[in-house]
Amino acid sequence: MTRRERVLVAMSGGVDSSVAAALLAEQGYELVGVTLHLWDASGGHSVGRCCAPEDREDARRTCDHLGIPHYVLDERAAFRERVVTPFVEAYRAGTTPSPCVACNQEVKLGRLLDIARDLGATRVATGHYARIEVDASNEIRLLRGVDSEKDQSYFLYGVPTEILARCLFPLGGLEKHETRAHGRRLGVPNWDKKDSQELCFVPDGDVGGFIERETGVRASGEVVDERGEVLATHEGVYRFTVGQRRGLGLGGGAPPRFVLRVLPDAGRVVVGGPDALAQRHARAHAVVWTGPAPSAPFDAEVQIRYRHRAAPALVTPTPEGFAVAFHQAQRAIAPGQAAVVYRGDRVIGGGVLSA
Amino acid sequence: MSVYLDHHAASPVEPEVLAAMDAARPRAWANPSSAHAAGRAARRVVEEAREALARAIGGLPADVVFTSGGTEACNLGVLGLARGAGGRVVTTALEHPAVAEAVRALGLEVVRVDAPGGVAPADLPLEGAALACVQWVNHETGSVLPVEAWARRCRELGVPLFVDACQALGKLPVDVGALGASVVALASSKIGGPPGAGALWIARGTEVTPRALGGGQERGRRAGSPDPVALAGFGAAAGRVEARLAAMPAVAVRRDRLEAALAEHGPVAGAGGPRVATVTNVAVRGWSGARLVAALDVEGVMTSHGAACSSGVDAPSAVLRAMYPEEPWRADSAVRLSLGPATTDADVEVAIAALEAVLGRQRTSSGF
Repeated sequence: MTRRERVLVAMSGGVDSSVAAALLAEQGYELVGVTLHLWDASGGHSVGRCCAPEDREDARRTCDHLGIPHYVLDERAAFRERVVTPFVEAYRAGTTPSPCVACNQEVKLGRLLDIARDLGATRVATGHYARIEVDASNEIRLLRGVDSEKDQSYFLYGVPTEILARCLFPLGGLEKHETRAHGRRLGVPNWDKKDSQELCFVPDGDVGGFIERETGVRASGEVVDERGEVLATHEGVYRFTVGQRRGLGLGGGAPPRFVLRVLPDAGRVVVGGPDALAQRHARAHAVVWTGPAPSAPFDAEVQIRYRHRAAPALVTPTPEGFAVAFHQAQRAIAPGQAAVVYRGDRVIGGGVLSA
Repeated sequence: MSVYLDHHAASPVEPEVLAAMDAARPRAWANPSSAHAAGRAARRVVEEAREALARAIGGLPADVVFTSGGTEACNLGVLGLARGAGGRVVTTALEHPAVAEAVRALGLEVVRVDAPGGVAPADLPLEGAALACVQWVNHETGSVLPVEAWARRCRELGVPLFVDACQALGKLPVDVGALGASVVALASSKIGGPPGAGALWIARGTEVTPRALGGGQERGRRAGSPDPVALAGFGAAAGRVEARLAAMPAVAVRRDRLEAALAEHGPVAGAGGPRVATVTNVAVRGWSGARLVAALDVEGVMTSHGAACSSGVDAPSAVLRAMYPEEPWRADSAVRLSLGPATTDADVEVAIAALEAVLGRQRTSSGF
């Protein structure tokens, strides 16, 4: 009997990872289920609490159903150091971080691969909606998931190719409804569980409150217009993101105004009309290229937040990363967010938008 | 092939124990407190178990109170012995959570005696203490604590003494009459009995306030109908304590063989002090205990790191932190392999091979 390939499957307790595991079990892999304990859930929200005990129970239940072992391993220290602390610092610095990028790049996949080695597994499988292909020249390609609504390639650009080469994304070719249908077909216990939110460790969505609890500091400052005239006061620059319209404290009646810039040193939030929000140019740093680093400008599409349709642009490599010249101005380019460079479905690379 | 090396969590039930439970199942379904024939049949199973356990520990059946397990026995012993609101509780830094948490819950001043390297001082600061709560054998490292000396001193000073003997029974001779503690906690699953059964031996004349309130079962010291089937198993396992003790020298040889192979990979906890024969606890640098337990389990070798925890979240071992305060990494990186009389030479060899294979993964990881 030839030994089956042993694969570590990351189990969050959600539908996606459960179905990914069930599909791989059906394909005959020897699976080992692992749930990373990344954060201690708090608060009363029943859905989307990160690493809540009930999520671990759901993961265990699915593994029991599949007849595979399941382990919960503690990576809370790494998650705090590499994801939560930088997230808090980035907001305090007036930017809008992408913690899911940091988590996938710095914690999740890398840690899982490390654990896979220790558990004698050759590869790591997750429920990400993205595709990995090896092209004719044996180069790894990261592609968008087939379901454009669920596609998570944006969060994965920073994962080194040597890690991607050992990842399996069984859901990359599926639409979400197909995932649920497979879950139902395969008897996955939680096939109809509600999707979790994007920001797992701030389940109530109150980033400002989270940052104040983490740092023990409450800040305040002024909301000003483009000429510097004070329009209102605010309770901390970390409550604001470029493009934000709500919560500016400007009252009704006035023409719509949006956050244009966040100035952490002055404690100021600059607001203006929609026209000022649209920009053609952006720069990115902390860049990761999926293949060889480009040396000359090239045409591509660039996506500047998770819910943004990648827009055509000229991408020019720079000493610190790359510069983006969109063909058409884009609304709300927020420093701190990831700028991911695509060509069609393929991820070319990405970086962090500079202030 | 799978190898079970987690006897300190639960030692597998032996065939005689299963047979006793199977025999009890159809005839001991009734409420043992009932006055009718069916109740008497159930009662008889419970009382036979009580007699068997009393024999195994050198006590009298009337002094044995059955509980739902070791934790409840420890809780009842610690909380039930405490009198009033004042005074000082003397305990050790190595206690099982069932004792440590109960001691904490007393809300009294607590003196926690350190046991560096698993070696506890022969003298405890017992003068004027309201209560002493100590374990006999440590669950994680097998360290044997000098409870006989402590018990003598407690008697001299009139300090009530709770002894957690859950890991002692079946590993070293337990004679509650000779020991002279006030109460002694015992657990079925550590001696090859089923889970869900435990006992507190209570010295004659010692008053223990009940925790579970209700009917007058167990002579008013523990309300609620006991589980006769589980107790039938506990009793049968108690009847085999002598056989377990007789097997300890052979267990020690196998443990030493396992430990010799492991000692190349890291320090053995408690190695400098007295230990029972059934356990080796090794810290391996670069590994988290949880990860090592998982890796060994995937290869069919069942071990643990620290006390089994139902939440599924691993925490560094409080016992190892207390034993080796200068080397905190050991609390994160420890794996506990615990053996029983049923452990074979072949089991040990399979476990060693699996350990070598698993621990080799980090050393040959350059190509990964």
